[in-house]
Amino acid sequence: MTATDTTFRHAPMVALEQLEHHLGPAGPAAERSADDLAEEFPVADVAALDACDLALHYVPEEYGGRLRDFERSAALIRAVAGRDLTVAIAHGKTFLGCVCVWVAGSAEQARRVAALVAAKVPVSWGLTEREHGSDLVNGELTAVVDGDVVRLTGEKYLINNATRGGLVTVLARVTPEGGPRGFDVYLVQRDRLPGGAYEPLPKVPTVGIRGADISGFALREAEVHAVDDRVGEPGTGLETVVRSLQLTRTLCSSLSLGAADHGLVEAVRFASGRELYGKVLADLPAAARTLTECYADHLLNEAFATVATRLIHTVPGELATVSAAVKYLVPVRTEGLLARLRGLLGARAWLLDVRGDEVAQGVGEFQKVERDHRIVSLFDGNTVVNLSSLVSQFPMVARGHRAGREPEPGLAVAADLTAELPPADFAALRLVPMKGVSVLHNLAPAAAELARLAARDPDLTPVAGVVDALLAGTRELLGEIAVQPIVPPDVPPYAFALARRLATMIAGASAVALWLGNQQAMSADPLWRKGHWLLAALARLGVPADDTALDASHAVLGTVLRDQVFGSRLTSLLHARLVRERTA
Amino acid sequence: MNSPDSTTVDVTPADVAAWLVERIAEYREAPAAEIDTTVPLAELGLDSVYVLSLCGDVEDKWGLVVEPTVAWDHPTIDALAVHLHGEIAS
Amino acid sequence: MNGDALEELLGDPYDGSNPTGHAAIVAADDAGEPCAAGEAVLDAWQANAEYVPAELGGRLTAVDELVRRLRPVFRRDAGLGLGHGLTTLMASLNVWAAGTAEQRKHLAGRLLAGERVSVAYHELEHGNDLTRNALRAERRGNGFVLDGTKRVINNAGRARAAVVFARTADPAAAPGGRDHSLLFVDDLDRVPGLTRLPRLRTSGLAGCLLAGFGFDGAVVGEDALVGAVGTGAETALRSFQVSRCVTAGVGTSLLEGALFGVYRFATERVLYGRPVTAIPHARSVLAGAFIDLQVAQALARVAARALHLYPSVAGRYAAAAKYLAPKITENALADLAVVLGARGYLREGEYAFVGKHLRDIAGLSIGHAGGVSCQLTVLPDLPGVRPTGAEGALFDDSPLPELDLGELRVRAGRADPLLGALEGVADDELRAELASVRADAAALPVTERGVTASHRSLALTERYAWLLAASACLNSPRAADPQWTDAVLERIGLRSGRTTERTSTAALDAAYQDMADRAATGRSFDLDPEPVLRALA
Repeated sequence: MTATDTTFRHAPMVALEQLEHHLGPAGPAAERSADDLAEEFPVADVAALDACDLALHYVPEEYGGRLRDFERSAALIRAVAGRDLTVAIAHGKTFLGCVCVWVAGSAEQARRVAALVAAKVPVSWGLTEREHGSDLVNGELTAVVDGDVVRLTGEKYLINNATRGGLVTVLARVTPEGGPRGFDVYLVQRDRLPGGAYEPLPKVPTVGIRGADISGFALREAEVHAVDDRVGEPGTGLETVVRSLQLTRTLCSSLSLGAADHGLVEAVRFASGRELYGKVLADLPAAARTLTECYADHLLNEAFATVATRLIHTVPGELATVSAAVKYLVPVRTEGLLARLRGLLGARAWLLDVRGDEVAQGVGEFQKVERDHRIVSLFDGNTVVNLSSLVSQFPMVARGHRAGREPEPGLAVAADLTAELPPADFAALRLVPMKGVSVLHNLAPAAAELARLAARDPDLTPVAGVVDALLAGTRELLGEIAVQPIVPPDVPPYAFALARRLATMIAGASAVALWLGNQQAMSADPLWRKGHWLLAALARLGVPADDTALDASHAVLGTVLRDQVFGSRLTSLLHARLVRERTA
Repeated sequence: MNSPDSTTVDVTPADVAAWLVERIAEYREAPAAEIDTTVPLAELGLDSVYVLSLCGDVEDKWGLVVEPTVAWDHPTIDALAVHLHGEIAS
Repeated sequence: MNGDALEELLGDPYDGSNPTGHAAIVAADDAGEPCAAGEAVLDAWQANAEYVPAELGGRLTAVDELVRRLRPVFRRDAGLGLGHGLTTLMASLNVWAAGTAEQRKHLAGRLLAGERVSVAYHELEHGNDLTRNALRAERRGNGFVLDGTKRVINNAGRARAAVVFARTADPAAAPGGRDHSLLFVDDLDRVPGLTRLPRLRTSGLAGCLLAGFGFDGAVVGEDALVGAVGTGAETALRSFQVSRCVTAGVGTSLLEGALFGVYRFATERVLYGRPVTAIPHARSVLAGAFIDLQVAQALARVAARALHLYPSVAGRYAAAAKYLAPKITENALADLAVVLGARGYLREGEYAFVGKHLRDIAGLSIGHAGGVSCQLTVLPDLPGVRPTGAEGALFDDSPLPELDLGELRVRAGRADPLLGALEGVADDELRAELASVRADAAALPVTERGVTASHRSLALTERYAWLLAASACLNSPRAADPQWTDAVLERIGLRSGRTTERTSTAALDAAYQDMADRAATGRSFDLDPEPVLRALA
């Protein structure tokens, strides 16, 4: 494929290639499997990431880190996740743990945390509690303020890195009555506490990511400084957490992308080597279609995640909606595509000691990919939380629609991969998007532009038709949302159906924006030409498409997918070379 | 529509064979002349699932509920035609 | 002993000190070992007798009754049910179907003595494609010499005997349906040239002892042959019809057990100041899963009863049920996992078994007959399929005529009593769907009726299976309740992708109430409820 040589190189993908190069080929699956079953923390793999100073990509440049744009950091996490999701989650947790400080902390706090991260100290985030789960408002870990000292007492449960972490950002209740202004976030640095003040809880055995440090901690009168260790103004803890979650929920999509990258490779390799009824499985039409539909799902997820991540920089005020949609949709659709690939792989998807025709301890990795990935839809705001968040935003979303708003100018920057991203402005993150959702406002002009393009190039007629259908579906949905009565807390189940559809439309509209923003730059790439990936991706969202055109797009996707898998490239809309073992 | 659409009185084994050739040619997307009636069905590229489908055609055409075992035991078109003709005639 | 007795023998699954409770079962699964106490209970209950026809001294009479009697095991642990012995049934069916009187008697004796029999079809290189199986059995003197390898065989490390699917035809000759034969190989440890291969571990059904057999010039006698030479595929395809119905049926019990668990969790978990059961979304997921369970069971039960009542078409129903019932079950389990949240991702705690069920159902789907092979059984039948009349006995609990494996057909005919029964009870939407499926199937070109079928053609088999499920539900005695019927129709429309969510929850509200009442009074959530030993927290 020479096409990619003439296409522009996207900086985050170049960074991904460099990390791949530094890490070298992934170690033997048998070792990863043994560690997994023994629930051993992936010490060596994490050390290898530390040797590359990956954690510096979790720290903004202004504090001495290398986090310039979130998209690049997300691409790096994706590369790690594509090798081993447990490692990505074990290491990437530091990113999640720090975010509160970047969002709401003082410059001094940020420098302090940055120095710890640079020193490879794992950072953890203490939000959830045993009895309350995602219900943060009912958290019981208590902060008692006594002059300059605050004493923290209570327990956090199902916390990543709680045992290995050296710094924990902890959400604590500061007033007995709690409420939206009743919580603060504190920096708890373990080496500053006397013994017994911070007790890690036993490791919790999990279905996947078995090697990760999933545990919890108990604080007993743990003393922190009332000002120096409090992140943000008094009473802003919940708000800080909610705004930080907008960033982390968006970034979680890179874990799903990595898992799907891994799963697709296993499935394509298997289907290409397997004979069934005298034919190669990958050549049987229904099996080939399963592969390319899963690939289309993955490309849609990638497009949505890419736009969402870039919106952190360009339209942060809408991230409340976009992050909930992306955190709901990408993990759930990745679970779905992995389940379909499992069906294709048959027993191979399930055996630990078999890969292709090879029988050896621990070589069967697909089952681990699927087990590991199930955590992604559960942590950092699960499916119900994200859908509920979308439901709560219905009035604003509908109002933005009624007002006939224009998309924010930042959307065009987010959608144009050749455009330089401005620095992220965390102060601009909003709890509720006041103006609606720009990608949705953008759909009508996008459909018009596609119609103009199709008038010049008839090959684009099918994809223009699908975008029209997406626009019609979105209008219908927004109309329904506008009249949907919401009486919290009794949100009717139907509102969840609407929220799922809303996430779907936002994802589809993001893909449309991304294609339009880059189709000229990518015109030499077969995936992008004639809107092939966009057509296939939108059809996967249930948007009606012409069968003949769709079949043609799937044929292209099939070729590209095999080229990417057997050419040691990332299964992606963009070009990125991998070093991990890819030969059949 | 679903009842057998042919009287069975004047049917010969050759008629059945010709009908089978047509079916298989359609499946192979090949001219009928290229279908060898004397070689095993497997050599004509017919897999086990297609044989099930062919049995359905036999049921629709001749009103005979036949099993793929018939094709296993009479594995060429000629042999199958003779067998089916016997069933039709009885 | 009857099915209730097994429920009592296994005891309260939520009792942490119960050696066959969830805690013990999850611990065994985690260790990758069979649940020893569970196996002891099944031994005491003489589970093997369930797999032996009554005429041979066992308790096997009707297939739907077998499924019903195995429910207590599968509610708790599919690995135990499969690992202890369901694969023994899969092996034995071949001998019941095609063995000599002597072989049948001999095998019955083995089973009633508590011995396990492995069923050795699977070869790594060929998966579910039986016709390509390569393990060779060459006739020599008064017997056969076996060469080749079978892998992913349940209990291969410990079974006393095995039924082996082997190529008896010349490998150089053109492939045909008479290439393979079945061999009943007894006393495996005394067969020279036979080795038991190392265990292969799995991520689901982790307590199952999957391993393999290596044959290197292994010699077995002429008396090992089950049926005539070359009848292996034919016999196996008939046995599959029974085992597919059984697997489809028992698989629904994973959902039954998990549904109670998640409901129990929801009654005790407080979020946002109230129990999860007070959250409308959670209630709708629970009620939806409750209906899903009954739809899947109605389909599986009708397929099992058709083996007795309509053996000439039962193979199609068995394949459709084996395709769809586990799919319904898995989707509902995945929905329930969302309500359970992180608790379902843990390998400890009272609800860890729900995550285990979710892993196990995947194994149950692919372990025996993959979804696509079931679809490819149905697809060639669909063009020209013809609705015919059906007996009411297909849908109720009335006594069934004896199962005659010889009456099962390798290929089902065009007649379709379940579709016929649907015509009488369907609403306009379903009737239109039936007409549409028939028309689309009739229009399939011949190249679209087999392995080279496109995804669109293959999708017809799923639509067909949903029609069977609808017929099974609407003709069941339960359909006398209009609210239940309404909920079922809504659910089938939604799950099959024909319709979207309704704004009203009225139908599901009634289902939720039924579920809650049963949970409170110790009755199971099955289509035909039975007493269960478990209580809300």
